[in-house]
Amino acid sequence: MNRMRARHALSVVGAVAALALLTSACSGSGGRAIAQGGVLRIGTSYPIDSLNPFVGQSDYTYMTFEYIYPALVQYNQQLQIVPEFARSWTESPDGLTWTFHTQPGARWSDGKPLTAADAAWTINTEKKFDTGATASAAGGLAYVTGAAASGPNTLLVHYSKPVANVLSNFQSLYILPEHIWARYATGNGSAMKTFANPAPVVSGGPFELTKYVPNQIALFSRNPHWWGPKPHIDGFGLQFFSNDDAMISAFEQGQLDFMGEYTPPTVVTKLRQKGFVVTTAPSLSFKDFIVNTNPRKTTHRELLNPLVREALEYATDREQIIKTAWLGFASPGSTIVSPADQGWHDLNIKPLPFNLAKANQLLNQAGYKMGPNGIRIADGHPMSYNVIFPPDERGAGDRTFAILQTDWRKIGIAITQENLDDAAATAAITAPNNKYLTFDMAMWDWVPPVDPDFILSVLTCGQYGGWSDSGYCAQAYDKMYAEQSTLTNAAQRRSLVARMQQYAYNARPYLVLDYPDVIEAHTKQWTGFVPSPVMGSVNSLSVQTLLQVHRV
Amino acid sequence: MHRADYVIKRGFFALVTIFVAITINFFLFRVLPGSAVTDLSRVPHATPALRHALTVEFGLDKPKWEQYILYLRNLLHGNMGISFAYQQPVSHLLIADLKNTIPMVTVGTFASIVVGVVSGVLSARRRGSVPDHISTNIAIFAYAFPTQWLGLMLLILFAGILPAGGMENQFLLTPEPFLQHLGDIATHMILPAATLMLTAYGSFTLVVRSSMLETMGEDYVLTARAKGLSDRRIVWQHAVRNALLPMVTLIALSLGYIVGGALLIEVIFSWPGIGLGMYTAIGQRDYPMLQGGFLILTISVILLNFAADLVYFRLDPRITE
Repeated sequence: MNRMRARHALSVVGAVAALALLTSACSGSGGRAIAQGGVLRIGTSYPIDSLNPFVGQSDYTYMTFEYIYPALVQYNQQLQIVPEFARSWTESPDGLTWTFHTQPGARWSDGKPLTAADAAWTINTEKKFDTGATASAAGGLAYVTGAAASGPNTLLVHYSKPVANVLSNFQSLYILPEHIWARYATGNGSAMKTFANPAPVVSGGPFELTKYVPNQIALFSRNPHWWGPKPHIDGFGLQFFSNDDAMISAFEQGQLDFMGEYTPPTVVTKLRQKGFVVTTAPSLSFKDFIVNTNPRKTTHRELLNPLVREALEYATDREQIIKTAWLGFASPGSTIVSPADQGWHDLNIKPLPFNLAKANQLLNQAGYKMGPNGIRIADGHPMSYNVIFPPDERGAGDRTFAILQTDWRKIGIAITQENLDDAAATAAITAPNNKYLTFDMAMWDWVPPVDPDFILSVLTCGQYGGWSDSGYCAQAYDKMYAEQSTLTNAAQRRSLVARMQQYAYNARPYLVLDYPDVIEAHTKQWTGFVPSPVMGSVNSLSVQTLLQVHRV
Repeated sequence: MHRADYVIKRGFFALVTIFVAITINFFLFRVLPGSAVTDLSRVPHATPALRHALTVEFGLDKPKWEQYILYLRNLLHGNMGISFAYQQPVSHLLIADLKNTIPMVTVGTFASIVVGVVSGVLSARRRGSVPDHISTNIAIFAYAFPTQWLGLMLLILFAGILPAGGMENQFLLTPEPFLQHLGDIATHMILPAATLMLTAYGSFTLVVRSSMLETMGEDYVLTARAKGLSDRRIVWQHAVRNALLPMVTLIALSLGYIVGGALLIEVIFSWPGIGLGMYTAIGQRDYPMLQGGFLILTISVILLNFAADLVYFRLDPRITE
């Protein structure tokens, strides 16, 4: 299939899916009238960290942007790209210009026109400051040379070379209101980074953020100027809890209608017994054990020996971790692309079996002899390491750590949990000055987007000081990364992405421990949730769930 | 003259302590790894120029001593700075937080005093009895248990019965009637205030019991008995009033620590007060917010200690002699 036909097929699929979406949003099953009104009360223990799209990083921050700012495209339930603000699009024969036909007559929540010019301004501004204030968005605009609005509803985006993942990149590019943001896009652009973007936020999505109290509540009501299918609910709110126990208690008490992706596995049975609807599904996220693989690492350089990392994997009992730490709500990890990312995950990569004898044999082979206290000695020092452990990993991560600690002790490697908050963990990993010289090990996780470009990028040298949390840097890998985003032939790109997964797996900067399921719960009074492997049904991939959700 | 000297001396000590607290507040958070700039500039492809621009914007490019002088100068003008995270004046944020903390702490403290005094008096009256042993042991346990443990236990125990998080129903698109709103806040307050009450009442019980036992052995109690006054009247009108004297200073001294203890309670119950605000600010390395929050906590402890000194002086003039 050549490139043009592939894109055309995608557009047709998109249009059909959008039609289905629109139809399903307008009528219930069997033509029954759908209950209108109400506020969906969502609980989460992962708060919005900023309302500024160039600062915010948490899942619910992105989800907020998805619902208040328009994006050119979105994903449907089958993870296919379908129209959003762009109703259709075409690609020039040379692949260097993309033309998007945007929604006519659209308005921002303050009544000002929302046009292709806003999209062009957003793209050009993010390009302008892509090594500064808007650097966090730069990855999605690789090879973009500029954007222009040739009319109120026509957006042209120009590229220096054909790019494979244009549409998925635009799914996560939130179009900002130029009349609000232009005043901050001056000088070196740092004001774009420090602008708090306080509520009420001028919105162009189906909902507007009307109230936001940090760490308490984000309250959204219908955007009266939203051009798409009208939501059935009057609004929704995100209540932030400082711990899961309080959130679950509030859910049981009837203070909440829905708990999203981070519902702990330990409460699944209890909630089902109490009559709540609990759904589980594979996700794109993974939990990883990180080993500093920076070739310039100054301490504990034995960790750079591939035999050591291979031994660590042999001594990792993934089945036990899934059974004990996740109570079965996860699957064994292998590559950095989850099996839920169908079409991208390389099924040929299998994790090593749990085999302590083999692990011991590898460490003996590497020459690290057992010390008198049962800890091996490497280069004159004991193989004893601190594992940086951020708050995100609490709960199942604690149980996982305990299993690893016990098993690794049997191969002569001691690990100690070093609990640090996010800022301190980041500082410790990247120290000194983003050189990744001193840390040894860490545990963390990723919740990557659907297109594998991002998760592949985190292991590139260019991510030092950015998303890199392993210090991994290999020119061969970087070369493959640069190439994959320009392979517009889908089969070729898939093949290269598979090779990159294999390369990263062999290098083992990450031991991918497991792929946790998305677990979410809601009361029986609500229905219409559209599941997704990213964050569950209320997510940053599309606006489907909150357009469709309604009271029973 | 004695009285004035005493007040001046105590006031001077309070001021010095506040100055030391202000200084420690400034340096304490700057020794933590990471900074607000680390978080904001941790993006791929970001140039050192971005990091520098943000560092300048937050005033973190200046030498520590210069930041310190600036911080003192701003404080003297009542300016606690601008929150790095929310880009709003710290004083506004803290006042909003305090408005949430004070009612919960007040209710919890008041409840702990009432329960502490009543149980202490009753224990003393029935010294050595089973109820006395039960009451004293419960008080010791409540006093000994960590706040966060008690909070979590209440949370689990009352799951599905009482509101577990937040201060009110925040999902209302339109405001509810005042009385209904008040009731909503009161219901949300039960668990955090009860936790605070449980952690604080134990010490009050033990002190009141001990003080009551001492008072009940005084000559004037014996005289009252000889005059034929009822036991109830002797206890509640004569003995309790005298036994409560040490309670006054204990309460004043405790209040500061109670405000500090409220930090943990607010985190457990997601109560949007100064404790939760500071807890979040630590994660964000929001120095101005942290400095402001700790400043308020430390000053409240110091001022309450000062107040306790004055009260103690008023109650027992021998202290200056």
